[in-house]
Amino acid sequence: MLILRKLGKPLTHLLLIVGATVMIYPLVFSLAASFNSPREYADTTGFPIPSSYLENYRTLFQPMLLPRITGWVGVTLIRIVWFVILGTAVAVLCGYVFARLHFRGREVAFLVLLGSLLVPEIVFQVPLFVMMARWPLAGGNDILGQGGSGFVNRLPSLLLPGIVNAYFVFLMRQAFYSIPAEYEEAARMDGANTLQVLWHIYRPMLGPVIAVLAITTSVTYWNQYVWPRMVMEANQRMWPVALASQKMMDGSFPVPSTDPLVQPTRDIVNIPFALATGTVATLPPLFLFFFFQRYFIQGLIGIGIRE
Amino acid sequence: MNSLSSQAARLVPKIKLPGRERRYALRRRQAIEAWLILTPVLLYYGLFAVVPVIANVGASFTRWNGITPPEWVGLENYVQLFKKPLYRQLFLNTAFFTAATMVIGIPLGLFAAILLNQKVRGMGIYRTLWYVPAVTSAAIMSQVTRLFISPYNGAINMILRALGQPEVIWTINPEAMRAVIIAFSVWRGSGSIWLGIPGVMILYLAALQGIPQELYEAAMVDGANAVARFRYITLPMLRHMTIFVVVTAIIGGFQMLEPVMLITEGGPFNQTNVIVNQIYNDALRNFNFGMATSSATLLAVLLMGASVVALRMMRQGE
Repeated sequence: MLILRKLGKPLTHLLLIVGATVMIYPLVFSLAASFNSPREYADTTGFPIPSSYLENYRTLFQPMLLPRITGWVGVTLIRIVWFVILGTAVAVLCGYVFARLHFRGREVAFLVLLGSLLVPEIVFQVPLFVMMARWPLAGGNDILGQGGSGFVNRLPSLLLPGIVNAYFVFLMRQAFYSIPAEYEEAARMDGANTLQVLWHIYRPMLGPVIAVLAITTSVTYWNQYVWPRMVMEANQRMWPVALASQKMMDGSFPVPSTDPLVQPTRDIVNIPFALATGTVATLPPLFLFFFFQRYFIQGLIGIGIRE
Repeated sequence: MNSLSSQAARLVPKIKLPGRERRYALRRRQAIEAWLILTPVLLYYGLFAVVPVIANVGASFTRWNGITPPEWVGLENYVQLFKKPLYRQLFLNTAFFTAATMVIGIPLGLFAAILLNQKVRGMGIYRTLWYVPAVTSAAIMSQVTRLFISPYNGAINMILRALGQPEVIWTINPEAMRAVIIAFSVWRGSGSIWLGIPGVMILYLAALQGIPQELYEAAMVDGANAVARFRYITLPMLRHMTIFVVVTAIIGGFQMLEPVMLITEGGPFNQTNVIVNQIYNDALRNFNFGMATSSATLLAVLLMGASVVALRMMRQGE
C-alpha cells in the first residue's frame, strides 16, 4: 500500500480518475444518450453529446403509461416496506435470541438457519415456484393445490418468500455481541422485561446496523429481477420496477413514442429511449447509496471483519 | 433446624432467591422467550427454505413436467448430466467464466483497494464512484450492455467507428460474447457482487484498514523499503481475506445468471450458456423439472464442497 507513495500523488489521482471513469462509464453514456433523438444517436461516433431532445422522457412519463408506472413503483415499494419491516424485526429478535439467551438447542437452531447460506439460490427458487403455483385454495386451486395457478401472477408470490434472512440474523447476532451485557442487566434490575429491553436499550444502540439492513433490503428489492420474472412475468400490472424496465428496454413491452418522427416499425428497439428507461430505474438506489454511503460501507465492512 | 431455615428464607425478600433456584428461573424464562420467538421463525424457515431443498433433491430423481404426477427414474437425470454434451459444456462454461472473472477481477479489486486506501484529497468521492456498479441492478445493466453491443449503433461500435475501425457484429461471435460477459462480471459482479471489482475492493479495503499501522512503522525503523513492506506485511495480513474473497467469488460466479440470460441468452449455440440459466430454462420454458432440479442439486453439492475446503484452509491458516 505504501508502494504508491513513491510514485507520487499525481499518479494516484490519475489512476483513481481513470478507474472511476470506467466504473461509471455505462451510466454516464446512458444518461448522455437519453438526451438524444434516435437520429442524433445513430449519427454518433465515440460518445453521444446530449442535446435538448426530451422526447425519451416524455415518452416514458406519457399520461397513458402513468397508471402502469404507478403500479410498478407501488408494487416495488410495498415489497420494500414489507421486507424492511419484517426482515429487520426477525433479524433483531433472532439476533437477540442467539446472542443473549441461553437455552438447549441454541447452537443447532443457529446452524440450521445459517445452513441456507450454503445453498445456491436457484435450489430454492424452482421448488418455490412450484409451491406458489400449487398453493392450496389460492388462485383457483383446490385443497390439493390442483386446477388453478395459485399465487403465480399474484402479489403474495412476491411477498411470501424471503422474510427470514439468515445472513441478517447472523449480522444482528454479531451486533448484539458487540454491546456489553451490563446495559441489559441494569435495565433488568429495574424490572424491565425483554420487549422493553429490546425497545429502550438495544434499539437506539442498534440504530446504525438496522439502517444497514434497511438500506441493503431496499436496494436489493428495488433491483430484484429473477424471482419476479419467474412468478410475475404474465401479469404486467404487478411487475416490480427492474422487471418492468427490462421489458420496456428490450421491446417486449412496446411503448409508442411521443415523437412523431420515431416510427415503431423502423426503430424496433429505440436505444436512446431504452437507455432513458434504464437510467430512471437505476437512479433511486444510486441516490440512496449517495446519501447513506456510510451505512453501506459499514454493513459491508462488517462482513469482511466477521469472517 | 428445619423450621428455622424456612423462617429465614421467608425473611429474605422474594427477589433474592438462593443462587441455584434463581439461575433455574432465569434459564426457564430465557428458554420460553427464545422458543416463543424461534418457533414461528423456524416454522416459516421450514416451509420456505427446508421444504424447497428437500423437494429439489426429491424431484431430481424423477421425470416431471410440473403438471402430471412425477415419475421415479432413479439416477437417470444425473446420468444425463454427465452424458449429455450440453450439460458438460454448461459446467465448463460456468467454471471458465468464474475463473476468468476471478483472475482479472481479484487482482484489479486488490489494486483498487490499495489505491483507495491512500491518503489523498477527495478519497470519499473516489470510493463512492468506484462502488457505483454494485448498487445497480444486474438485470437493467445487462440490458444496457446488450444495447451497447448492438450491431448497428451500440456504444462499443461507436468507439470503433470513432477510431476508424470496421464495426463488428458481436452477437454471432462467441469469443466476443464471452469477453462481454466476463467484462460485465468484472465490472459489476454477477451471481453476487462479491465477484467483481466493487465487491472485491470493499472487502480488501476493510482488510487493509484492519492492519495495525505499528507494523509498518516498526518495519520502517528496521529499514524495510516499500516493496518489502508490501511483500512481508500487507500480503500476509491479507491472506485470510484472500481465501474469503476466492470462496465468495466461486460461490457467486457459479450462480451467474442475469448477464447470460439478458445479454447473450446463452448463445450463440450455448457457447456462453451457464448452469443457472439452463436450470431456469429447463424449469420454466421446457417444463423439465427433473433436469432442472438435478443440475441444481449438483451445483449445490459442488459449492458446498468448495465452502468446506475453504473453511478448512482458513482454519489451517490460524
